[in-house]
Order: sequence, then C-alpha cells, then structure tokens
Amino acid sequence: MRGFLRALAGLALAAPLAVIALGAPAPRLAPPAAAAPVNQCMECHLSLDDDTFTPPAKAFRKEDVHAKAGFTCANCHGGDPTQEDMDAAHDPKKGFIGKPTHQQIPQVCAKCHSDAGLMKQFNPSLRVDELSEYKTSKHGQMLVQGDQHVAECASCHGAHGILPIKDTRSPVYPTRVAKTCNTCHGDTALMASYHLPSDVYAKYMTSVHAKAMYEKGDISAPTCNSCHGNHGATPPAVSSVANVCGTCHSVFAEKFKQSAHSRAFADMGLPGCVTCHGNHDIVQPTEEFLGTGPTGKCGSCHEKGDRCDVATTAMHKDIVALRTRIEAAHRILDTASEAGMEVSKQKFDLTNAEEALTKARTDVHELQLAAVRKDADEGLAVARAAEAAGHKAMAERDYRRRGLLLSLFLILSAIAALLYKIRG
Amino acid sequence: MHVEPPPLADPLLDTRRRWVTRLLGTTLGATILSFLYPVLRYLVPPVTSEPSLSELELPFKASELAPNSGRIVPFGGKPILVFRTVSGELKALSAVCTHLNCTVQYRKERSDIWCACHNGVYNTDGGNVSGPPPRPLLPLEVNVRGDKIVVRKV
Amino acid sequence: MSAKSEKPPGFRQRTLEAIGWEGVSHFAEKKDVPVHRSMVFYYLGGMALFLFLVQAATGILLLLYYRPSASESYESVQYIMAEVPFGWLIRSIHSWGANIFVGVVILHFLSAYFEKAYRPPRQFTWLSGTFLLFLAFGFGFSGYLLPWNTLSYFATKVGTDVPAQIPWIGPLLSRILRGGSDVTGATLSRFYGIHVAILPATATVLLGIHLYLVQLHGMSVPPKIEREGSVRRMKFFPDFLLRDMVGWLTAVALLAVLCVFFPWELGKKADPFAPAPAGIRPEWYFLSMFQALKYFPATIAGIPGELFGIVGFGVIGLAVLLVPFLDRKAVEGRSSPWWNRIGALFIVAALVLTVLALLPQPGTAAAP
Repeated sequence: MRGFLRALAGLALAAPLAVIALGAPAPRLAPPAAAAPVNQCMECHLSLDDDTFTPPAKAFRKEDVHAKAGFTCANCHGGDPTQEDMDAAHDPKKGFIGKPTHQQIPQVCAKCHSDAGLMKQFNPSLRVDELSEYKTSKHGQMLVQGDQHVAECASCHGAHGILPIKDTRSPVYPTRVAKTCNTCHGDTALMASYHLPSDVYAKYMTSVHAKAMYEKGDISAPTCNSCHGNHGATPPAVSSVANVCGTCHSVFAEKFKQSAHSRAFADMGLPGCVTCHGNHDIVQPTEEFLGTGPTGKCGSCHEKGDRCDVATTAMHKDIVALRTRIEAAHRILDTASEAGMEVSKQKFDLTNAEEALTKARTDVHELQLAAVRKDADEGLAVARAAEAAGHKAMAERDYRRRGLLLSLFLILSAIAALLYKIRG
Repeated sequence: MHVEPPPLADPLLDTRRRWVTRLLGTTLGATILSFLYPVLRYLVPPVTSEPSLSELELPFKASELAPNSGRIVPFGGKPILVFRTVSGELKALSAVCTHLNCTVQYRKERSDIWCACHNGVYNTDGGNVSGPPPRPLLPLEVNVRGDKIVVRKV
Repeated sequence: MSAKSEKPPGFRQRTLEAIGWEGVSHFAEKKDVPVHRSMVFYYLGGMALFLFLVQAATGILLLLYYRPSASESYESVQYIMAEVPFGWLIRSIHSWGANIFVGVVILHFLSAYFEKAYRPPRQFTWLSGTFLLFLAFGFGFSGYLLPWNTLSYFATKVGTDVPAQIPWIGPLLSRILRGGSDVTGATLSRFYGIHVAILPATATVLLGIHLYLVQLHGMSVPPKIEREGSVRRMKFFPDFLLRDMVGWLTAVALLAVLCVFFPWELGKKADPFAPAPAGIRPEWYFLSMFQALKYFPATIAGIPGELFGIVGFGVIGLAVLLVPFLDRKAVEGRSSPWWNRIGALFIVAALVLTVLALLPQPGTAAAP
C-alpha cells in the first residue's frame, strides 16, 4: 500500500514536469540576421583610428538615417562591403569610387533619391525630383561648370551622419536652415568672389520672420528655403516676388495685385513687395512707411504733393487717428481697471477696433483711400464706444468715492458724538 | 472697588446730557442706515445673466443664423465662431487661430473657415486643413432650446 | 431695574421675566473694567470680536453669489466685483477685513502674553484663545484659495506641501487637506466646506467658551500694576462700551477707505498646467514660517530638513498653549522677565523673517 502511494506521489510530481517538457518548444536558434547587413568597411575603418578615415565611419554608425535603413558604405562609395581585404573591398570593378568629387556628389545621392520605385520602399512621401530641381538652381548650374565651392547635397545635409529633416538636430531643420546657408553665404571672402553680399544672415536675423521663428517658436515661419526654394535654390524673379510673399501673405498679395503698383512695378522692373519691405531685413511695417517724408517709402518714385502723396498722407492720418484713439481707450480702461473697476468685457470689445486697424493697414496695399477710410471709420466707432465705457467706469469710481465721503462723514460724526458723550 | 460717583442732579446738565444722547442716537442710526443701504441693494440680483463662463446663451436667435453663414461672439473673454453649415447643422468652434491667435472667419464661398492673417484654412470640424496652423480649432457644445442657442465648453 | 408695582404685571414685565432679564441686567450693571495705564490693550479683544462679526456678515453675503467649483469660482467672484450692486464693497471688506482681523487677533494675543493675562484663574481663557488664534490662521488659509486665482492656487499648493513632510501621517494629512494628491477642484470644495462650516462651527464653540470665561473672571490686571495697589474701575455699560464703539467705527472708516481706494484685485484665473509664477508666497501672517523653512538644509542625517522646521513649529505651538502652566513665576505673582525676553525675541525674529520673505528672491523676478 505504502509503495503504491509512493509511486502515485512520484507520478503526481513527475506528470506536470513531463507536460512542461513535452509542451515546451524546441530551444530557439539565434535570431535571424535580417536587419544588419554585412559592412566590413566599418570594421576596418573604425579600427584604423585615423583622423581622416575613422570619423566618417563613426558618424555613419552612430545615427545616420541610411545606416538605420540598412544601407552600407558601398551604397554610396561603391565597392564590396563583404570583403575584408582592402583591395577586394575597394575594387573599382565593383563600382568603388572612393571619396566622390564635388561634381560627383549629386549623382551619387540621386542614384537612389531619384528612383521613385526604390524610395517608395522606404518613405513613399519623399520627393524624387531633387536632382532635377538642383540642376535649375544657381548652385547646380555652377557645379556643372566646375565650381569647387558651390553647395551640393552633402554641403547642407551632411555626408555621413545624415539625419531626417524632421530631426531637430538636422542642419536643415527649419530653425537651423539659416545658419547652414550662412556657412557659405556669410563668408565674406568667398562671397566676394561671386559678387554677392555676405550680410544676409545678419539682416535676416533682424526681421520679423526670424523673430517669429526664434522668439515665438513658430517653425512655419519663413527661412531661406521658404522663399529661395530647397534644391532649386534661386532668388525669386523680380516679377514673382509678390507671388512668393503671397503664399503666406495672401490677402496683401491679392490687394497689391489689384493696385496700380502691380502694373507700375512690373513695368519698371521693381521687385514687388521687396521694393518697400526689403528682402532679408524685413522689419515690422508701420504707417510711417506711407508718404514722401523721411521715413516714407514713396519718396523714391513720387513727388511730394502729387496725387498719390496726397492720398497716402490721408491714409496715414486716418490710420494714426485710429491707432491713437485705440491707445487712448486702452489707457482709460487700464486706469479704470487699476482703480478696481471691472472692465474686462469692455476691453474685449476694443479688440474689434484693433481688428479694424489691421484691416485698414492691409487695405493700404490696395492704394485706395476709400477702402482704408471705411475700415478706419468702423474702428473709430468701436474705439470711441470703448473710451466712453472707460469714462463710465471712471464715473462709477467717482460715485464710489463720493459715497465713501458721505459714509465717512456719518461715521466721523458718530465718533464725535460718542466722544462728546464720553466726555460728558 | 471704586465706582464713578453718580452725576450731580443739575437740570441744565441733564438737558445737555439728553441732547448729547439724542445726537449720539441720531448719528449712530444714520451710520447704521448707511451700512444697510449697500447690503439691501446687494441682496437684489442684477438683471444680467449668471456668471457661468462654461455656458453662454447667444444674443441672437437660432432662426436668425442662415445656412452657410457664421458669426463671431465673445465667450469667456475669447472669440468663438458660431456657424451653420450648408446642410443646416449648427456648430461652434473657438475662433482663435492656432497659428498666431488672429480671429478666424467663416468663408461662404468655400464653406470653410479661414484665417486672413496668413491664409490658414480649417474645415467645418475645426481640423487644420492647410496653411501654417499647427492644431485644429477646439469645438464647443451647441444646444438649441426652442429658438435659443446655448454654447457650452466641451 | 424691574420695580415691584401694585398693578398687575404688564406685557413688558412679563416678557422681561420670561427671558430672565433681571439676572442679565444685574450682571451688566456690575460688569466693570480696571482703569490703568495699560488699559488700552483691553480694546483689542472687543475689536477682534467686532471684526469677526464683520467677516461673518460679509462672508454670509458673499455666499449668496459665490460658486465653489474650479470652473465657476473665479467667474463668480468676477461677477460679484463687476455686476452685483456693491458686490465690490462686500468682497473688498471681506478680503481687507480678513487681514485686519488676523492682525488684531495677533495683537490681542501678544498683549495677553506680555501682560500675563494667562495667570490663574484665566488659564483656560488663554487656552481657548490660542486655539482661536490657530483657527484665525485656518480661516485665512482656507479662504485664500476660494477666489481660485493664480496666486491663491500656487500659494495653496506650496502650503499643502508642507504637512506632507511629516513622517507616517504626513502624506495622509496632505491628502485629507487637498481632497486628493494634488490641488484641484476637490481641494476647492473641501476648503470651502472648511471655511464656511467647519471652522465657523468650531469658532462659535470656542468663542462661546472664551467669552463666557472672560465674563466670569473679568479683565486681568497686569502684575506690575497689581503690585502697586488697588485699581480704579470703570463701568462697562455704557462707559467702556462707548469707547469700544469709537474703536469699532474707526475700524469701519479705515475699511471703507481701503475698499474704495484699493479694491481687492481679481488676479488671473488659476491654470494648474501653467508653470508657477516667480515669487509665489503665502499671506503675510505665514511669511515668517515660510521664510524660516527655507533656511533648513535639504537633508539632515537623511531626514528632510524641512521636517525639523515643522516639528519646531509644533513644539512652539505646544509651548504657547501651555504657557500658563510653564510660567511658574507669573502664576505666583512674581515678575518673569525671561518670558518677556523670549517673547520679544520671537517678535523680532518674526518681523525680520517677514521682511526677508518680502524681498525679491535671488534668481527670480521681483516678488509680486
């Protein structure tokens, strides 16, 4: 009996183990080597510990977007990445080109980046026309002529540690584009040889666009490539400036196109918006731009007192009147607010006047006094109402003070009566 | 324990004392009335509606808003856009553009929502369709009671 | 006052008898106040009571329009300030009055301490009074959150972080205070309940005890003056009361001027997701403790430094409560100068710490 029970116990213990052993899958082999391709180039170049050959390998291994996608050195440089022997690896018959020349680089990149079928396997939304665009650019044209300094793909995107453009560390991330362009376009000696200015970056950094990008953090703000293009980088033609600015400033561009200036500027070969607003150092415009005075932009073409000068002077007057009225309303509402009156609703209503002011300033580009006057008058009505509300609030404040005086008088006479009673 | 001696029984002093007491009573009474006046006025609620700024009854009727049109209304100190789509549905969105805070407007010609400042475009659900706006416009809940429109924060 | 007459008792007499007026008026006749050079301090108690009643009255009026929820409280206060007739006045009286009330309570407490009014038989008057002082601070702290503006939200956050440091019960205590793990609308509801129900109920009971004991024992005469001999006395009704009323009316006049020229501000609505603005600090009566806590190092022997500060406050609070039992000399009628010196030291320290707390902190923008 005892023996039977022992056997039973033994079975009871062994059974679960058997189940586990039978049910367990066969031990796995090492995981399939799918992602990492053989890249002997890296092994050799890394161990060289040489200042010329090792850093590119390190950069490529560290974070290059191509390395992550499974590409090897050979995809750009040619040769055989599976070979350990240097000569075999560097075999020209296997396409080895070594370090590509300046002129070769666009072709090297375009080998893949212009192949729609290939790019679709990795990132279907990427464009494949960069090379054809580049060929239209100043950089592309001069490269073909043998220029050794002009920008090609690697100049802006880097060569070995290439990051996706959405990566904030990429040299062509929106906040870094201006600096990247400036590495060449800020080099005075280099730019002198092309008869180009080298202060463009400094000028740009004073602009409202730079402030929007760097101070307000708006990465949709324009930087170099927004107006000049990415790969087909050329300054916009004089006749297309308004179109380019108009991609964001559509309302202004439309009004400008309707105005007399549109035709006049085209006839005179003047660069549209840039004529008054500048191209790189675009600062906050004010109504002082109007007119033929010292700060006015009209004086270079118009005579003081001519038909247009009269109109713009009137516009200036209207806009300044509206602006000062709005400021006065703000002041009195702020005073009332500081005196303790609740005027938040009146302040909100004043924003309608501020919108009218913006509309009036926009209408200036139409160059029609009637349009500006209409908006200014609307705004004035709102500003006047807000000012009146401010005065009303101050009147309430005065009412409170009068009430205080009365109650203080009563209280003080009560105190006096008390003291008198105490004395008595 | 010392107690103040009782006042002398002088008729002149007595009259004067009585007048002082009357003066005291009058001034104290007037003072107390001047305190009661604001308290009583305070108890009467004002005509303007409740302060709830999570809910707002609009100053125009539902029947006054035609299809494919919209209006800007202040709500909680910020503008909101109340509009009726082409199909007649009543909707409300925050009217503060998510790009640089300009006030957006309903665009009849394209039945969408547009920001004049930098050409930002939103669809009638508030989604940012094109231009610089990085985020959609936040929706608000719209309820209709009879001909009254009530907008509420979601 | 009720003369026995041969005529049958009229309505007036029946009413007076029914409410026991005889006893009350007899007591009121006898109630007197010692007259001496330090008697000005006697006015502080009545002033504190008057201001407390002003707070209760304005508080009740505010209850009619205030809404205690995170989405509505700021707007309801804005409504009171902008739309409700004299709402600005009621609210400003309540906010200014709160600060003046706490100030007067502190002065009343200090005068009782330095004039040794805690000697027997008044030891329980002192005890109930000290608890009332703590309640006054509680009223101030709980009320400060109710307008739900940026300053009050962050001051409450900082203030409720402090008890969390206490070992074992600290986090639980903080959770109970906050109604959760963070300062939220739940905290607002809780502080509202504390401010309008729990504290007023407790204060009513304690105040009842305190006032009863004061009537029982009368005003204490400072030991130095007692030793000089017996003191002249003044009747409370009407003489002292009239003088009291001069003080109360002056306080009302001061409040009125403050409210008209410096109405209490609304601030900006609290946004829990915005970063705390620079220079957040609690109300002035907490500043000395707030500043003192900053001087403790982050850890001392592995224990958070602030904990030593908090324990220190607890010890001081306990000592204050037990002063009547600790100051043996005063109990025996002898002078106890060391207690005066310690008291003076604490006052100086509190003033210095308060001033330090008000200065712009290094590394931040000037304090608001």
